[in-house]
Amino acid sequence: MARSVWKGPFVDSYVLKKAEKAKESGRNEVIKIWSRRSTILPQFVGLTFGVYNGKKHIPVSVSEDMIGQKFGEYSPTRTYYGHAADKKAKRK
Amino acid sequence: MNAKTGPNDRICVGAIAGAFGVRGEVRLKSFCAEPAAIADYAPLTTEDGSRRFSVRLVRPVKSAFAARLGGVSTREEAEALKGTRLYAERSALPALPDDEFYHSDLIGLEVVDSGGERLGRVRAIHDHGAGDLLEVFGPGLRTTLLLPFTREVVPTVDLTAGRIIADPPEGLKPGEGEDDAPDGADGGARTPSRSKGR
Repeated sequence: MARSVWKGPFVDSYVLKKAEKAKESGRNEVIKIWSRRSTILPQFVGLTFGVYNGKKHIPVSVSEDMIGQKFGEYSPTRTYYGHAADKKAKRK
Repeated sequence: MNAKTGPNDRICVGAIAGAFGVRGEVRLKSFCAEPAAIADYAPLTTEDGSRRFSVRLVRPVKSAFAARLGGVSTREEAEALKGTRLYAERSALPALPDDEFYHSDLIGLEVVDSGGERLGRVRAIHDHGAGDLLEVFGPGLRTTLLLPFTREVVPTVDLTAGRIIADPPEGLKPGEGEDDAPDGADGGARTPSRSKGR
């Protein structure tokens, strides 16, 4: 069942505090968080979070199209290497 | 495991999973980003380069293709190739625009930071939906280091020198920025927990 709209999006309070602190400092840093359940808010756009996957922190650079998703969706808990073959990586 | 670039700059693009049908077709697994593109890189060779095959994809089957390989006309010949990895020439891959790289070109490159200190080598490239990440593993690292593949973090990729210059942001290395971890490392619930029983 979907979360009631009147409650607003769920975010762990320490994530908000850390994000605000990072924005104020203006430094290029990775904000390490353990809260995979927190919703990505518009004020997080442009920041890079290190989202814990149970073993390590996966860097997640937040962009506009990620708003409303949970952090955990971008930090998989299982690793699959697969084959490189002709796969491409684009530097943003 | 990642497909390694072979000694003659060859890239593993697929494997033969077995025979398909009784007319000499094979079940061909493609490792390409666009699976049907495997036929574009033909002729494909075996790992030791002793055999070359032309490839014609007949039809898609479950998680593979039914394909006809040049020089394979019977089911017995097709079955004998089960487990064979197929390699394409690196030069057969189309050229890419600036700031786009093949995973196979990046894997194995040495990564140094802007101060010249060696961080390790690229082990793999991941994309979990928030941009590409370079997985770097080096002798001084307990776990792998994940670098966002952006111009800020990875300003230089020198394929000819086999080197990547990276400028990892603060808090990226394992152990950095973990001193302010919340209790229980999950931040504590903001929603009241339900009481058990009535």
